[in-house]
Amino acid sequence: MIIYKDTCVGCGTCQPFCPAGAIVFDDHRSTVDQDKCFECGTCLRVGICPVDAIQEPANVYEYPRALRKYFSDPTSTHAVTGIQGRGTEESKTNDVTLRSGPGEVGIAIEIGRPTLGMSLEDIQKITRALARNGVHEIEPNNPINSMILDPQTGDLKPELMNERVLSAIIEMKITRERLVDILRVIKEVIPELDSVFTLDVVTLLEPGLTIPAEVLAGIESQGFSWRPNAKINMGLGRITE
Amino acid sequence: MTHSLHREGTIDSLDKDYAVFIYPARGYNYKGCEPRVRRLVEIVYQVGPANMIATTLRRNFYSGVTPEAVLDSIREGCRVFSVFNSRDKIRELLARFKEADQGISIVVSGLIDRVREIAAEVGLEPHTINLSLGVHGATGKLPAADIRQFTTMCGHAMIAPGLVKDALRKVKTGKIDSWDASLLLARPCACGIYNPYRSRDLIEELEPLYSVTRW
Repeated sequence: MIIYKDTCVGCGTCQPFCPAGAIVFDDHRSTVDQDKCFECGTCLRVGICPVDAIQEPANVYEYPRALRKYFSDPTSTHAVTGIQGRGTEESKTNDVTLRSGPGEVGIAIEIGRPTLGMSLEDIQKITRALARNGVHEIEPNNPINSMILDPQTGDLKPELMNERVLSAIIEMKITRERLVDILRVIKEVIPELDSVFTLDVVTLLEPGLTIPAEVLAGIESQGFSWRPNAKINMGLGRITE
Repeated sequence: MTHSLHREGTIDSLDKDYAVFIYPARGYNYKGCEPRVRRLVEIVYQVGPANMIATTLRRNFYSGVTPEAVLDSIREGCRVFSVFNSRDKIRELLARFKEADQGISIVVSGLIDRVREIAAEVGLEPHTINLSLGVHGATGKLPAADIRQFTTMCGHAMIAPGLVKDALRKVKTGKIDSWDASLLLARPCACGIYNPYRSRDLIEELEPLYSVTRW
């Protein structure tokens, strides 16, 4: 994002709205630190500027900076996936898609969340660790897949390394037997990261909203625990096409 | 993803905060889904959400948009995100969704034990769960836990920690009240699941604990 210095009246109203903390005063006018800016568009979307000094610059859709926009602005449609957001529909439509089916679990590593954002180098640290351990099942419909240069090494395309985004999600679907191994790999990479990630595990439920004991045991075996709140597909979907 | 499974807070606070998603699936029940999604949105309005957004309009419940405009905006593939601030409402909503039987995927994001109880009460058999295994990595760089109770109510991290502090400062200095501060915080949330009722309660709980250095 940019703020036209000639138009800005220096009220500072926009500054607290920036999730990246990228808007600061410079010579009594607000300005956007282009390195910090995630291009999430929040400052423009909230319509807070009294003189319309905030604008989206023309280069925001130019590669590779466009990745900032696609991964950080939830209202933008990703050029690779054609959907809004950084991930797939994961558990949300699993009652009709059976994307994570019997004997399987879905894993999502939501890097940069909550709030911090990250450089794409942090994604590469995780994709490399997964690749080193023979994990190559990164979801093909997730935009991260298009950023990988070599699936065998987990290397991302080098031109992306200077970019920062608010969040990105490494998604995969595996058999339940592999859950422990993959959680171990994820646990081992944690000390290398400069940012944070949240971790999700998707599984089919047993009757009475019972979480399969095998899945919970796998989570606990690697020292992880689960929060009391979760996203639950209520089983009301039906295939009509 | 709306990241709603990672909302932070006490059990009592999270028990007043249930996000609900209406989600047609591309290739499965997407074609011609408009009337079915519209019927479900009518039910959402009748039960009374704390906030809501249809992806075809992206204007939240407090933007001045009318229910008619939201219903008119619904097109094929429209997804609807909402949040409810009581267990009774979520029970009523799910009972009416079940009765309406529109065949569109419905997701509830909230306390697992409570959703289990409610599902049993209304006779639903939940299908899939997405568990949160928490936050890992450089967690020392995160904003404080009290601030994260607000920021994690917008799954896309559009609520800046600085905005939460600014809102608390404005309440503390008497510039706005806790409800208006909550609506201010709800503005950047593009997914419409920021819960201003829970936010108001949190502000009223936290505001006496803060001191301000700037008026």
